[in-house]
Amino acid sequence: MIELADVSYTYPRTVQEALSHLSLELAPGRCIMVTGPSGAGKTTLCLAACGILFHEYGGKKAGIVTINGRDVSAYTGLSEIAKDIGIVFDDPEAQMIFTTVEEEILSALEYRGLSPEEIEKRLASILDLTYLSALKDRSPHHLSGGQKQRVALAATLALGNDIVILDEPTSELDEHATRRIVSILANLKKQGKTLLIVEHKYAHFRELADTIVVMEHGRISAIGTPEEVLRDERIQRIVIPDFTGIRDGPAPVPKEAGPAITVTNLSYSYEEVCALNSVSLTVNRGEFVAIVGENGSGKTTLVKQFNGLLTPTSGDVEILAKNTKNCTIAQLAKDVGLVFQNPDHMFFADTVHDEVAFGLANLGIADPEKVIDAALGEVGLLATKNLYPRWLSRGERQRLAIACVVAMQPEVIVLDEPTTGLDGDEARLVMATLKKLQQQGHTVIVITHNREIAERCADRIIAMDQGRIVSDVRAVN
Amino acid sequence: MAEILQYVHKDGFFHRLHPFSKILFIIVASIICILVTSIPVLLLMVVAMLVLAFIGHLHREVIQQLKLVLVMSVVFVVITVLTMPGGDTIGYLIPQSVPVIGGAIPITTGAISVGLVLALRFMVLIFAFQLFLISTQPRDLVHAMEKLRMPIDYILMFIIALRFIPTLQIEGQRIHEAQLARGYNPGTGMIGKVKSVAPIVIPLVSNALLRSNVLGLTIDMRGYRTGVRTRIRERTFSGGDYAMISGLCGTAALFGIVAFALPALVF
Repeated sequence: MIELADVSYTYPRTVQEALSHLSLELAPGRCIMVTGPSGAGKTTLCLAACGILFHEYGGKKAGIVTINGRDVSAYTGLSEIAKDIGIVFDDPEAQMIFTTVEEEILSALEYRGLSPEEIEKRLASILDLTYLSALKDRSPHHLSGGQKQRVALAATLALGNDIVILDEPTSELDEHATRRIVSILANLKKQGKTLLIVEHKYAHFRELADTIVVMEHGRISAIGTPEEVLRDERIQRIVIPDFTGIRDGPAPVPKEAGPAITVTNLSYSYEEVCALNSVSLTVNRGEFVAIVGENGSGKTTLVKQFNGLLTPTSGDVEILAKNTKNCTIAQLAKDVGLVFQNPDHMFFADTVHDEVAFGLANLGIADPEKVIDAALGEVGLLATKNLYPRWLSRGERQRLAIACVVAMQPEVIVLDEPTTGLDGDEARLVMATLKKLQQQGHTVIVITHNREIAERCADRIIAMDQGRIVSDVRAVN
Repeated sequence: MAEILQYVHKDGFFHRLHPFSKILFIIVASIICILVTSIPVLLLMVVAMLVLAFIGHLHREVIQQLKLVLVMSVVFVVITVLTMPGGDTIGYLIPQSVPVIGGAIPITTGAISVGLVLALRFMVLIFAFQLFLISTQPRDLVHAMEKLRMPIDYILMFIIALRFIPTLQIEGQRIHEAQLARGYNPGTGMIGKVKSVAPIVIPLVSNALLRSNVLGLTIDMRGYRTGVRTRIRERTFSGGDYAMISGLCGTAALFGIVAFALPALVF
């Protein structure tokens, strides 16, 4: 059991409280799902609940956290706390220390004071529970995001603790991988484990969660059973993304008719693996297209062909009637803007303004100040112009990444999973921004795992599986 | 993408050896190649490493790094030609026909010979360490280093430094692609190249620092630093180890005898 009583916390060198007078009780065998906007304090709550905040972080702390009735400050350190609590962080890659799946789990088991026989027994049962038996000799680098997340969870379960905290365990996972994680967690709950899960995917977790906690500005703004919490309409919009009406805006007017992208018999192989297999596709100017499919279905490989990051093994890709084989990446960047899944892969400048200016300078666009202001205004970030990009919340960083690309004024804007890690309100804001860009004449292509985004926002949905297009349909209202 | 110095899951001669045997292999190979100055003997050692890689079914992984090793070897030879002239002059980097600076950098037999020795030593060391690292599971490495009474923090630092090489490789590739998509130009000339490093290095370092925080917490929360370890699936010495140790002792003894009796052969 974990109990937080009137806990407040301020990170070093900041003035705003990350947690403010927060009280919460996690009873044995129960499952709490914590949700809320980015920057609301959800990860800080996880760090507080497992004592990390009190032992490893500076800053101003107040209130009491107890684990099974014992004050976390009374523990000698994290290694002692680790005997009572396991935590899985949101970045699975950073939690892989060893070079095979089995080694990762075995190494965690070795330090629990168990007999060799008991270790072997537990190892087999954890591999089985987390569906990792067939992958036990694989290297973490060769696993998908969902598999990595299961390895991180398995290594934490190896500790054998009754309380497990999970920070956004499914944020970058597709539907199938998310369902697998949920099913593992449901089994853990059946075994009597106590779970504290930070999540945005309410639809997947509503059956599992006994209590929903909604956090905003370091405080709990709603707590109760899913039914109780969702009675408030404002809270409901945070918990459940609502994309209703986004597609219903006025019909876009393309500057010129005709295809923006023409793909003909495109095949692409990474070494010996065929990632795209004879794909043909035409995207017209001014269309809003969603590309859906599981991880590894070839979505990202396909869109990387649009701006020349990859060139076809066979077949052709034409952007505005120019074959990509005859263009450089820099030339294609003028026509196709690509926003990657993780915005942090692009930020390096000292201010939001300079970050947007980088792309403009690369393309030699005239009157950059006007363009920068227009792009930041478009995504609602004009007020943050002089801030350091990495200080922004995840939702704001995602919108800044869009602004960086929009400012370059490409005809086609491609986004890879633009709503990853965002709450309902932020996700809607991002999708509404994209719709606005379409209405201004841009062609918008969105890769998403989320079927609802595709169905509610896009005009056309292309489904991919194993490197092929398996369906291509117009969305209906 | 080829993963540099990462454990490869296989069942070969090197994989079955105890880490101590492999550490001894590295020590013997390193000492001999550092003492030897004879190019034919060093060449023989490079060939021996490749033969051992073949026997251990690790030749593919070793050959993958050959390009990098050859480039570095050429760099060594060029640096010695530039900095250590000696012996007979066999030509000039800048032809004598060029006015004013013509004939300024002589290519000498002494410099080439020193450069080749350095390059071959580098090859032997790289191949020996690669054979050790790609055939040893980090867990076995931890056990061996623990037995050598190395502090656990240093052991973990070593393991993590190795483990995160491919992670940084992949991350660097993603950042590079993200910047290329923004019309990033990797720059020309020395100043251009230095300036163009910022859009890649700053996100790489910032993300790595964030990741190292999570990694540190994970290590603590799994109790690696303070827990008492149960000894399980530990490597024991087998026939292969005894063969390897005998071979290494024999090689070291032979080297000692030749060095004293016929020093001209190896020095």
